[in-house]
Amino acid sequence: MAEGRTFVVVGASLTGASAVATLRSEGFDGRIVLIGAEEHPPYERPPLSKEYLRGGETAEKILVRPAAWYAEHDVDTRFGTLVTQLDAHGRSVVLAGGERLRFDALLVATGGRNRRIDAPGAELAGVFDLRGMDDADAIRTAVGGGARVVCVGMGFIGAEVAASLRMMGCDVTVVEIFETALYRVLGGEIGRVLEAVHRDQGVTMHFNDVVARFEGDGRLERVVTSGGTAIDADVAIVGIGTSPAVELMAGTGLDRPDGIPVGLTLETSIPGVFAAGDVARHDHPVFGPLRVEHFDNALKMGETAARNMLGAGEVFDDPHWFWSDQYDMQIQMAGYAPTWERMVVRGSLEERSFCAFLLDGAGVLRSAVSIAWPRDVRRSFDLIRRAIRPDADALADPDVDLRTLVPDEGR
Amino acid sequence: MAEFMTVGRSDDIGEGEAKAFPVGGNEIAVSRVGGTLYAFSDICTHRACNLSMGGEIDATSITCECHGSMFDMVTGEVLEGPATEAIATFPVRDEGGELQVEV
Repeated sequence: MAEGRTFVVVGASLTGASAVATLRSEGFDGRIVLIGAEEHPPYERPPLSKEYLRGGETAEKILVRPAAWYAEHDVDTRFGTLVTQLDAHGRSVVLAGGERLRFDALLVATGGRNRRIDAPGAELAGVFDLRGMDDADAIRTAVGGGARVVCVGMGFIGAEVAASLRMMGCDVTVVEIFETALYRVLGGEIGRVLEAVHRDQGVTMHFNDVVARFEGDGRLERVVTSGGTAIDADVAIVGIGTSPAVELMAGTGLDRPDGIPVGLTLETSIPGVFAAGDVARHDHPVFGPLRVEHFDNALKMGETAARNMLGAGEVFDDPHWFWSDQYDMQIQMAGYAPTWERMVVRGSLEERSFCAFLLDGAGVLRSAVSIAWPRDVRRSFDLIRRAIRPDADALADPDVDLRTLVPDEGR
Repeated sequence: MAEFMTVGRSDDIGEGEAKAFPVGGNEIAVSRVGGTLYAFSDICTHRACNLSMGGEIDATSITCECHGSMFDMVTGEVLEGPATEAIATFPVRDEGGELQVEV
């Protein structure tokens, strides 16, 4: 006899796929319904600005699970379907078309959507943003073999897209509001290392500037900045951040602009209703409340949420980790440090091969960032998760194994 | 019929290390933990990174440096995603200082 319970997952994303796979691997034999707005089965988004954009990987290759997996594991999928309403009291969701699905537990993994640029001409043909597989396909087609492209924003998406387009032979110009590349997350010192990499690769960058308007007769011809620079362009790609897709929580008070608030176990204030992935603002035991948009976080939150839907009560204390590939260079980052007091470098910024450790005022390691420096970011996980104050000389010494800096007691 | 092929010297691989060898068109990694040798496909089933290049070995697991997939070097099974498919594993032996893998 099946358990007779129904678990609904809204968001056919990495988080959603990770959750349903975990539910099945943990032995849940009730009904699972996985609902997603896109027509595609869940896929990995990181390749959309990299291999997939460049045409080096097929759509099938970037699926989280083979398309047939869901039916094989008795997961009822509704792709290309919007959920229009959450009825928290009635423990049900309503789908576009009117179907009502009752749930015993619900996971909201609706992710985010791209912020729109508020500039005249943003509706012109040739102005794109990148969120889904279809966007990547459209950009690949539009840039052909060597378009003139303006990347608006040089966060991770902008920097990765700029790198991919250079590798595809495009002429690339960046317009970025901050003073250097990736400034908001990595700060000026590391940002300037990446800026130099992109400059060496032939990317033109305009910092401390924003787009004033997109010009063209029906189709983009030129991007004009507030600083007065006019850049002739065939294509513009806007990457200026995302906002969490919280609309489903309308009426519950949880549709907050900074994400759906969840506690240590990823459950909302509505019992049995969980949120995970980009849409969730979770209460982290070390970092406090935060919302991140990392691949690894989406995967791991999906797993933890699934176990907690089954009653595990597991605290999500992942140290948060992500990578970015630009040209032949891999950047990694772990932890969370919106600000820091001290940066200790192992390796060399000048040689573009290092791991930088970001410490707060009390000397606690909050974050580690590396460029072309394997292992040490992942080896800092336990130090970050346990808010350790490591010796700065030891951090700077490449011969010291970071794992030896974790105190033994309490491990 | 599978047979043991010599891929290198046993002392090429230090304790806690993994190294890849080309074997019959495949890239096979051999690692040594606690004196025991393990042989497995060097290619991560997630995005085809080489596990031996920066992969972190902890007991009998290896974690891919690129995206964090963790595999059991004994069975090949996925211990942590994003990978969902196991890696192949192979018998391996030290034959008088020669490193031999059965493929």
